[in-house]
Amino acid sequence: MTLAERLRSVVRSGASLSPGSPPRTPARRGEGSPGEPEGLAPEACQNAADVLGGQWRQWQAHRYLVVDRKYLPGHRHGRVAVADSAPDASGFWPTLGILDPAASGGRVVFLDLETTGLSGGAGTYAFLVGCGWFDAGTFRVRQFLLTGYAAERGLLEAVEETVAGAGAIATYNGKTFDLPIIETRCLLHRMATPFEGLAHVDLLHPARRLWKSDEARLAAMDASVLGHVRENDVPGFEIPSRYFLYVRSGDPRPLEPVLEHNRLDLLSLAMLTARVARLLEQGPDAAGTAREALGLGRLYERRGMLAEARACFARAAGPAAAEGETAGEVLTRAEALRGYAVLCRRAREHEAAADAWHQVLELSGCPPHLAREAREALAVHCEHRLRDFGAARRLAVESLRFGTSAARTQAIRHRVARLDRKLNPNPIPFF
Amino acid sequence: MLPARRTDPAHEVALQTALDRLTAGRQDRQDAPDGWVTAVRMLAARPGEYAPFPAGVDCRLVEALRTRGIEQLYTHQAAAITHALEGRHVVITTPTASGKTLCYNAPVLSTILRDPAARALYLFPTKALAQDQLAELHELTELLAHGAGGRQRGAGEEEAGIGVFTYDGDTPQDARKAIRNRAHVVLSNPDMLHAGVLPHHPRWAKLFENLRYVVIDELHAYRGVFGSHLANVLRRLRRICRHYGSSPTFICSSATIANPRELAEALVEQPFELVSENGAPRGEKIFLFVNPPVVNRQLGIRRSYLSETRRIAGEFLRRGLQLIVFAQSRLTTEILTTYLKDDFEGPPGTRERIRGYRGGYLPGRRREIERGLRKGSVAGVVSTNALELGIDIGALDVCVMAGYPGTIAATWQRAGRAGRRSGRSAALLVASSAPIDQFVVRHPSYFFDASPEHALINPDNLHILVDHVKCAAFELPFTAAEQYGRHDVQEILRVLAESGIVHQVSGQPGAPTASDAVGWEWQWTSESYPADAVSLRSVSSDNFVVVDTTRGSDVIGETSFTSGPASLHEKAIYMVEGTLYQVERLDFEGRKAYVREIDCDYYTDAITYTQVKVLEPFGTTGSRIHAFGEVHVSSRVVGFKKIKFYTNENVGSGELDLPEQQMHTTAYWLTIPAAVLASLPYASDDRRDGIVGLAFAMRQVAQLLLMCDRQDIGISIGGGDEGDGAAEPRVFIYDNYPGGIGFSEPLFAMQGDLLARTRDLIAGCECDHGCPTCVGPLGHTGPLAKDVALRILDQLATAASPALDVA
Repeated sequence: MTLAERLRSVVRSGASLSPGSPPRTPARRGEGSPGEPEGLAPEACQNAADVLGGQWRQWQAHRYLVVDRKYLPGHRHGRVAVADSAPDASGFWPTLGILDPAASGGRVVFLDLETTGLSGGAGTYAFLVGCGWFDAGTFRVRQFLLTGYAAERGLLEAVEETVAGAGAIATYNGKTFDLPIIETRCLLHRMATPFEGLAHVDLLHPARRLWKSDEARLAAMDASVLGHVRENDVPGFEIPSRYFLYVRSGDPRPLEPVLEHNRLDLLSLAMLTARVARLLEQGPDAAGTAREALGLGRLYERRGMLAEARACFARAAGPAAAEGETAGEVLTRAEALRGYAVLCRRAREHEAAADAWHQVLELSGCPPHLAREAREALAVHCEHRLRDFGAARRLAVESLRFGTSAARTQAIRHRVARLDRKLNPNPIPFF
Repeated sequence: MLPARRTDPAHEVALQTALDRLTAGRQDRQDAPDGWVTAVRMLAARPGEYAPFPAGVDCRLVEALRTRGIEQLYTHQAAAITHALEGRHVVITTPTASGKTLCYNAPVLSTILRDPAARALYLFPTKALAQDQLAELHELTELLAHGAGGRQRGAGEEEAGIGVFTYDGDTPQDARKAIRNRAHVVLSNPDMLHAGVLPHHPRWAKLFENLRYVVIDELHAYRGVFGSHLANVLRRLRRICRHYGSSPTFICSSATIANPRELAEALVEQPFELVSENGAPRGEKIFLFVNPPVVNRQLGIRRSYLSETRRIAGEFLRRGLQLIVFAQSRLTTEILTTYLKDDFEGPPGTRERIRGYRGGYLPGRRREIERGLRKGSVAGVVSTNALELGIDIGALDVCVMAGYPGTIAATWQRAGRAGRRSGRSAALLVASSAPIDQFVVRHPSYFFDASPEHALINPDNLHILVDHVKCAAFELPFTAAEQYGRHDVQEILRVLAESGIVHQVSGQPGAPTASDAVGWEWQWTSESYPADAVSLRSVSSDNFVVVDTTRGSDVIGETSFTSGPASLHEKAIYMVEGTLYQVERLDFEGRKAYVREIDCDYYTDAITYTQVKVLEPFGTTGSRIHAFGEVHVSSRVVGFKKIKFYTNENVGSGELDLPEQQMHTTAYWLTIPAAVLASLPYASDDRRDGIVGLAFAMRQVAQLLLMCDRQDIGISIGGGDEGDGAAEPRVFIYDNYPGGIGFSEPLFAMQGDLLARTRDLIAGCECDHGCPTCVGPLGHTGPLAKDVALRILDQLATAASPALDVA
């Protein structure tokens, strides 16, 4: 057996066993004889600019592709028009400061990457860096496509230029994914991170709070919040193999849907950001649903804007509970009442807090963990404010039924024992 | 340099009395088990040899060490420190408790004191050792920060101090970033370096740019598969260092093995200096071999070595001597702990004088036991090999080893746990009935007079190499001119490119159609994270997973693909640290074995039909008796035997039908010439038995010579009527790993030793017609196996002697 044959048997035995190592789309072999480098033929490179509608940019001896698009003010994305989402002339929404206090003005640049994998590490590349920003009512997108790895540094420098002077960047899950990837790439090139010192608003967490908690992908938010249903959107898991296909064959066509996917993500991100900013600006009355009001209250609460938060919770808790509510609606109401009660207690408005806790207990189908918390809070209230030890003891004993952790159960037992001593102040001495 | 402890006469007398009792009965008490002491050796006391601190050691460090009572160095420390400070790679082999950690801590700390940007990486084979070293380094850096040295510090270094951190699987995620930025010294292990550090090297840029020292402690642990992997991890490490412009000096420390320099050079692929002259003082040590008495001569059955260990340990404990007992498994550790507690523990509630120690105990409990040993409040400890490595427990009076630790190196290492700087100490080896134990205890000179084992690795095993080429390609693109390992890495990359894992791209375009190789790079074009698919402790990641269904379903172990069928077939007994499990179902396709805990007194031994075909001989002797080369092994497990513990009796069997397995590997083989066979005055069945018996014995000896585990090598008999094309019978000893792990060539080189020791083993055995210690138990072979095997060996010696030159 020659070395190559032995190697093939070794590689094959390994490849079939470690999932994920072979590309998901079978690689198309280049035309050249095996072993000969398969570079991009110049006409193919030219082709990429044409097919993807971009322009080559030179960096040293290398080049990368820049694709510019603009979405005019009248462009509609689902239920929303670009013009409705645009911030004022500065390109910034002041209320974003509630999400990240460092965001205090200057244009917001939206950022989204497409990468060669999800694992991170030195072998994961960002082959497409998409940036977007508002420019007088128009939404502009600029995408940087890495057509040859040697141009990476040049591409990163161009990204740096694009975000230079921005007041903040906005991403969707960028804290965990996009920024660490860019950071690693920059470290590899011994460059400073382009986002060093920039405010960063990661929309993932506010979006989860406000809208959906189970299906948090951007495309799903797009449909449910903005009413934009994507057609023929390329699934995320296909993206790396489409890029590898391009790298190996030089044929840019598989990339077109990837670039479109990235643009849609940027557009959705911008629209969602605008929606969050507007909600934060207009307060509870702007909230379309109880769920949105509850989420908004939590965003205010996190930043210590307690009056606004309380108003949101009150709005989310709504008037008296209606018949035939879904479990989700009951949960939203219960959580809003809880949020309200906690804020009242912090403001030392104990009567109002007790009132809210009572409402929690009155909800039919109230989740047990909230019912237990309500009883505990009310037990404290009865014992220390009302000095109604009997009622306090009854509530404490009832909350035991929902005991979850041993420590909690233990604490309640202590309370019951203390209440027993208060109820019967002259026990028979032990000795 | 710990202060010498008590050397009072009472202590000396106690030790002498205990030893006298154990050895005195040799002639006059036939009934006494003491009659089975097979060797008594005296290792003379030796004074310490000292040297001043080398000039290169920073004076702040010298000051700090003085406050700890260290006024001067041992000669080996001074030599090692000098090499390291002057940038020469150095490997140190000195026994336990000879101050080896200072050999690397001194140059590392001294360098960091002078250049606070300097960084060092320490690798330990286990996390526990890293923790132990962390404590010691903290003590030193505290002294440097607050002690005499602190006042002389320059203004620039004032704020930070020297940061020392462990970085392993237990390090919390949120602490990792701080460690990457603040650690001057990172204590880690090869697995973490491989999967958690190298693939993320950009985040460690500060470390790699400034890496001055790499310390590899317990170098001897890196042999076989693990060592072959580590060599590749170090190739990747050095490749990344080159990228960042650093070139670290390696400081390795090893237990006494035959080839420390060779091993270090094979692992690091750089020339090394060897420091092997131990300058630490040593008290006199008495070494005893004990073989439990035979209770059934015909079957070769001996009294339980655990009972013997209990009795012997008692002789010392009773006389107030502090002792450590080494057991072979967690189970035997617990059994012996129970025995000794029964014998020596005070009433409940009083201080525990006998303790057990093994992996699986919580760290706090371990530290408490270690402290107890150092202070003397613990009189005896029973341990697995967990205490064999460098953990500081002070020096004890006596070490009793229940069973041969498997290698000469490990035996010396354990024996070193007993031994004071002055005064006498004793080490005793109690042999179990395992063949290897019996060989050692009956041939004391094998242990005392021969050099210890060679540690062997094969970093260019194609399976291992390809896995690491993938990892390396992920970390940094290979250039078209780059080399890696002994094989042509460009060829490997071309084959990887065929499956799309890498792709050759222009690194310096401008001339993308140029045909010359310069400027082309191999880019990683896969979404995977290759390090996750590579375990440093096995050749292929295609393992069988063992699932315990006793309570729920927990994964309790892994077995390599090659040894899976033999150890995980249905009804097989699977052992983890002394706990027994029975395999209920083997899902061959899904690579899972479902097991359940069981209480039984036997283990299982698979019956495997193995056929070996020679693909290409790499070398043969002129007489063509010995050869080695590449082979094709196909094997099928067809059944199993139930073997009773301790007695090794065959107590049942079963049939199995499992798929055939095939692999390419390397082998050494012995050919028995037709003339030799024809000259034997035995029937053909008896000749056949003799060859089977010979193979059985050769396996034990090969295992000894190769310093490997039983499952590392396989044995097969070919030729004759076995139909591998050759007319003459052959005994194959093959590497039981796809691609081979580097045993066959050294075994070929040790052919003379192999046959001579095999002859010693068989001739020296007291059984009548074969036993598990020599040619295998009766039933495995026929009644004449012993005689025939010996005759074959004698004939071979004559046949081979005229020409031993390599063809």
